[in-house]
Amino acid sequence: MRLLVSADIHLGSPIRSAAMRNPELGDRLKQASRDAFIRIVDLAISEDVDALVLAGDIFDNDQPDLKTRAFLISQLAEAADADIPTLLIRGNHDALLDHRAHGDLGPNIHLLHKDAPSVEIAGVWFHGLSFDTAHVLRSFLPDYPGPVPGQKNVGLIHTSLDGAPGHDPYAPCSEQDLMAHGYDLWCLGHIHAPFERSSGPVLAVMPGIPQPRHFGERTGGTVAIVELGDGTPEIERHQVGRLRFKNCSLDLTDCSDVQETLRTLRAKLEVMRDPEHDTAVRLLVTTGHHTADMLAALTNEVLENIDRVFVDKIKVTAPKQQLDSKTDDLVRLMREELSEPGFQHAGKQVLEDLRGVLPRAISDELSEDVLDDLLEEAINEVTLSLHAGAAE
Amino acid sequence: MRLNRLDLIRYGRFDGAQIMLPEPATGQPDVTVIYGPNESGKSTAFNGLLELLFGMKAGAHPYAYKFERNDLLVGAELNIPGRGATVLRRNGKRTQSLLDYQGRPVEDAILSSALHGLRLDDYVERFSLNDKGLREGGERIAGAKGDLGQLLHAGVSGLTNMATTLEAMTARSDLFHKKGGRNTALKSGKERLKEIGDVLKTARLTPERERNLRTDRDAARKVFEEADAELSRARKRQAAGAAAQTWYDRSEEIRKIDETLAGFPKGPDLKKGTVGHVATFVTTISEKAESIAEADGRVARSEKVIAENEADPVAAELAAEITKLEQTRVEEASLISRADTARSDLEKRTGERDEIARQIKQIQATLQVPDVPVTSLVLTSEELETFGNAAQACQTTERELKAALDVVKTAREQLGDAPAKPQDLSQLQVAFDAWQAVADVSGPEQALERENARLVKVVSGLPASWQKLVENGLPARETLDDVLREWNTLTSNLDAATEDFEARDTSYKVARAKREADEGEPTSIDAAATEETRRLRDAAWHSHRGTLSAETADFFEEAMRADDGAHTNYLMGTEARKQIANSRTLEATARAARDAAKDKLDRLTESRDDLSKRIASITTALGQSPDVGPEAFAGRRSALSTAAEIAADVAVAEDALEKHSRHRKAALEGLSAAAQLVDIKGDEGNLPARVGKALALQDSVRDVWEKWRRGEQTITEHEKAVSQAEDEKKVAFARLETLTAALPLPDCSAAGIKTALPHLRTLQQLHREHENLARRVDALERAVATLARSVLRLAELLEEPFAPKDDPLPIIDRARLRVSNAENADRLRKREEDLLVEENQSRIRAIGARDETQDKLEKLFEGQGGEDLPPTERAARLAERDELRQEHDNSDKRRTEARNGVDRTLFDEELAHLPDATREAETQQELDDAQTARDAARDAAVEKERLYREAYNAADNSELVTEQATVFEELRGGARQAAVARLGVLAARGALRRLATERRSTMLKDVEEAFVTMTSNEWEKVVVWTENQGEKLVGIKPGGDPVPVENMSTGTMGQLYFALRLAGYRSFARDPGPLPMILDDILETFDDARASAALNLCAEIGRSGQAIIFTHHAHLVELARKSIPGVSIVKMPD
Repeated sequence: MRLLVSADIHLGSPIRSAAMRNPELGDRLKQASRDAFIRIVDLAISEDVDALVLAGDIFDNDQPDLKTRAFLISQLAEAADADIPTLLIRGNHDALLDHRAHGDLGPNIHLLHKDAPSVEIAGVWFHGLSFDTAHVLRSFLPDYPGPVPGQKNVGLIHTSLDGAPGHDPYAPCSEQDLMAHGYDLWCLGHIHAPFERSSGPVLAVMPGIPQPRHFGERTGGTVAIVELGDGTPEIERHQVGRLRFKNCSLDLTDCSDVQETLRTLRAKLEVMRDPEHDTAVRLLVTTGHHTADMLAALTNEVLENIDRVFVDKIKVTAPKQQLDSKTDDLVRLMREELSEPGFQHAGKQVLEDLRGVLPRAISDELSEDVLDDLLEEAINEVTLSLHAGAAE
Repeated sequence: MRLNRLDLIRYGRFDGAQIMLPEPATGQPDVTVIYGPNESGKSTAFNGLLELLFGMKAGAHPYAYKFERNDLLVGAELNIPGRGATVLRRNGKRTQSLLDYQGRPVEDAILSSALHGLRLDDYVERFSLNDKGLREGGERIAGAKGDLGQLLHAGVSGLTNMATTLEAMTARSDLFHKKGGRNTALKSGKERLKEIGDVLKTARLTPERERNLRTDRDAARKVFEEADAELSRARKRQAAGAAAQTWYDRSEEIRKIDETLAGFPKGPDLKKGTVGHVATFVTTISEKAESIAEADGRVARSEKVIAENEADPVAAELAAEITKLEQTRVEEASLISRADTARSDLEKRTGERDEIARQIKQIQATLQVPDVPVTSLVLTSEELETFGNAAQACQTTERELKAALDVVKTAREQLGDAPAKPQDLSQLQVAFDAWQAVADVSGPEQALERENARLVKVVSGLPASWQKLVENGLPARETLDDVLREWNTLTSNLDAATEDFEARDTSYKVARAKREADEGEPTSIDAAATEETRRLRDAAWHSHRGTLSAETADFFEEAMRADDGAHTNYLMGTEARKQIANSRTLEATARAARDAAKDKLDRLTESRDDLSKRIASITTALGQSPDVGPEAFAGRRSALSTAAEIAADVAVAEDALEKHSRHRKAALEGLSAAAQLVDIKGDEGNLPARVGKALALQDSVRDVWEKWRRGEQTITEHEKAVSQAEDEKKVAFARLETLTAALPLPDCSAAGIKTALPHLRTLQQLHREHENLARRVDALERAVATLARSVLRLAELLEEPFAPKDDPLPIIDRARLRVSNAENADRLRKREEDLLVEENQSRIRAIGARDETQDKLEKLFEGQGGEDLPPTERAARLAERDELRQEHDNSDKRRTEARNGVDRTLFDEELAHLPDATREAETQQELDDAQTARDAARDAAVEKERLYREAYNAADNSELVTEQATVFEELRGGARQAAVARLGVLAARGALRRLATERRSTMLKDVEEAFVTMTSNEWEKVVVWTENQGEKLVGIKPGGDPVPVENMSTGTMGQLYFALRLAGYRSFARDPGPLPMILDDILETFDDARASAALNLCAEIGRSGQAIIFTHHAHLVELARKSIPGVSIVKMPD
């Protein structure tokens, strides 16, 4: 049996990048999550899989928006028309999948939950449990049915496996317990980076988020097709994401004139180009000669002739030697100043003032925890502006 | 670090060039003026120094035009503290580009350490200054508005844009957010987010909203369906009424048609198109009769024309003769057209031919060859040119040979006899140069004295054992910083811990006292609630006591009172135990806190003791008194370190002096040995002078000898030219002889040939013209004969007389006319014969067609009545009958169709109403009413559907959601940048305050001195004012008038900037140490007084370190010579 496994589609979730200000990219990716899901269904049909498996977080939030739900149903109906049944569970974002509140999804679409945790398709048993509330801190694993003897058993679970860093610790369970449960295959959701684990003949696969949405999701963009036969299931990954996020480090320390800088920028950004994907690039530049504004202008000039590469942000750092407090009195004295309690207090006040006027959703950007990082950036900014300004 | 020599080995246009920067005499400032005109390579030299120190530029190299990039090589001799004089080189390779004097790679750390870790940009900013930088620096520091910290920073770093940088950062931050700002990015972003949020909230399609919209839509749809059904019924009724009316009207029509048909001829319906066919046939028969009559007339006319145009029997022969004449051509023209002039042309051409023959004979006579065939003298143009060139070559080579012989003769006469040959004194010259390079020992001696003086000055405040301390190893600077920081932290923490312990101890004592008090006197419980319960119980008891017997009541009451006492005791005991337990817990907690505080205090005290021991050992290591604190360590360490470095410099200077003396002695020995080889003797006092004199004399002898040798070489070159001219002359004469061998001229010399050439060219031309004329005369003669023969034959055919002398043209014209007439008659006759045949055929065809049409016409009327009518009228009458029959059938068909297309029941009902004038209006009104109701219901349903769809589509806000996320991202980034900018400005301002505090004592005095000197006492001093915003630098005029820096003129500001840079240089030279300062034509816009003052400041730089001044102004060189004692003047190398 061939299964297309996906999870964490987050329908309705937008791309979060300043690169989306580019009208070309913004227009192309305004429905990125939906487009990715259309490609998933198309792939399932073209690869002629036997079932489509979605391991939670199909939607992005718990605000019931029936348009998005209607989209999901129309796509899954298309798969069903091609004789591809769908099996899915609710993740911590999936209130819209609540069949009691919003009605059934349709024929040949199986939502697994505690009242109907198992279903059999072509001799293979699928088991799954759904989130009923967003915050579940206990493991679901003990509630999963035991394997049906003599049959292939596939589990769908939305879990922060072993407390994956960077993800809310929902429904955690240990990898060891999971692999020992007796199923042949586990289809995982919740952790957006793709990976797989195997233990003997058992395979657990995290397909990854099909369309990464921000720079925290620099991996993913994939789904998995799993061949369930004798022995350990075999897996192949397929790209479905349109946009990828890439960091691009660039040392322009030795580029003092604009032409040389343009050449170096062009060479580096050309490497970033991928004809199959749009690429949002965060440029991490080391230079003592150019300010971020100047580099932004140069980068835009270069990108006019490079297709499908867009700039998200440019971060400029002065060369390490330039920040050496032994040779630069100003750097040395700024560092001394930073260690003063009075200065620390003033710095916190600056952050508090700004936090007070920022929208609540982003005020944590300037929490006191990041003060030290910001102060390092501040020294860098002063040094860079001073030296770059002197060179102009 | 000091630059002693710069080697431009392969760099730019330089190839093996050197710039020496000699060390100054003791007590003199270390200043070198490097002079060279524009384009002499000063910028190249400066760049070479920078690339030696910091590595060569990556990528294409601007100075790699004479040598390849990889072959570029610069070098220098540098005095590096701790290493002494060191020769280093730098090539263009990417790695291991720094080499020692033998070309072996060495670590860049040698230089980076000597440069105190400075980068290229830092070095250029701090240790170079040009006129533009001085001018702009002055303008830029105005932005500091006198801020002391910013000004001192500009002096130290060379960076003058601090004020604009901080303003720009503040502005950037304010662009994102500023209190009360109207157009900030944050404000715009928040407004946009609110707009988006409102739209998203409104547009969200919740299940409830969807359900309401769907219910409304379905209800409207149902109403519409009912109205639509009603409309359909009304339409059917109206259709049935219309059909009944049609049935009624058509039936009436049919009855009238039947009555009319009774008066028409009988017979079947005509076939389709019969009327048209009859008309066509009648027309055809008439037309054919007319055609037959016209054909008869045309046949008679043609027969008459044929009889009038018979054939001419001689016309063919006449035409053949005329054709022959016309085809005969003379000189590109027809013979006939020239018939009247042919004879006179013949006579003229014959005369011309004979005249040219006469001219040819005359030329032959001139050339003295009257009897040779003229063709032997006719040459082609190429041959004539070749002969001319050959003759000219003979004459030219003869002249050149003569001139070359004259030159040799003159040179021999001028050269004279050979002088005496010079002696080889190269070995002596080498030895003499080596001696001169090391003869002067004053430089190293003065350097040693200078270093010793520095050492004495530095060690004045140090203990006698300072060298021992240094040898034992000084604690690292970082260690001292760590110890000081640790001491300060520890002291502060210890104070805090002591305070904490005391507070904890007090708390513990309070808790212990409370516990003891609680144990000694258990607290009574709060019995109010119990008392109230009992009061209520007693009230109830008293009101019900009467229901019991007195005995029972007393017994029960007693037991109840006893229970009350026991219960009260129990409660009190429980409460007291709880309070004691609580007091014990509090006491234990306070004790634990006190013990923890004590432990912390003990640990800190222990740490302090440990640190005190470390401080004591450092105090010993630095040779300081035990009562000084760690604050004094850095200063002492710096002093010891400086002393150690200077001591190392003294050792280097001693070593240099000793090495120099050794080299000097070896050079003198070498000079003495070389002098003895040429019999020159002497001691150190007189030998160098004697050798110098001998070398100068020898130079004079060598010049005379070299001049004579070059003359001799020149004559040899001239003789070679004579030989070459002779060879060329022989070749030219031989060629002429070969060319003229077959020419039958009496004089074939070069001159003879040149004389004969014009005649030969004329002869060539006349001969060509004679040949042409001969050919034309011959052709004319043949044409005249042909004409005479042909005209005679024409006259015979025309039967007319003609003699050879007669004009032939009238005969030719008459023959032509005769031929033309005959041809016209032939054409006319032939055409009429063809017409006659055609007309006969046409007549026969017309008769056949007429008869055939008549038969067809009769067949069309078979079986029909109306025989008495002409065919056309008969056909029209029958067609009218057929139309009436068709109308009858159509009406019947339409009434049947109308009835069949509607509901039969409704049709019958409506037919029963007819005839009725108002029935149609009634059904129409019913229909209109139904239509109006249906349209209203449809519009309502469409609107409800639209609202439902609109809500659905409006929920698709992916574009707005994307924008919302993007705005958040932008605000996130903007907030971070704004915070960084504000923190940066905060940190920079604090750092500048610190800089002002740190450097004011060392730099302000230098600034003041330099400024006063620079302005030629136009200013008395500079002072610092303390204001709310910080400390400001203020200039004071001689009268005491203060002028804030921002109010100074641009020129004064430039002078202040120079003073700041000087102070900054001195500060750096003190710690961490001096580096060469490059001053590139900074004085070119100064007048002499200010330039002299500026040079004095350069001398000040030279007293702290090394000043190198590049200039292309000769007068500044002289000014420097006067202003700076002991200044070295060096010319740019070629």
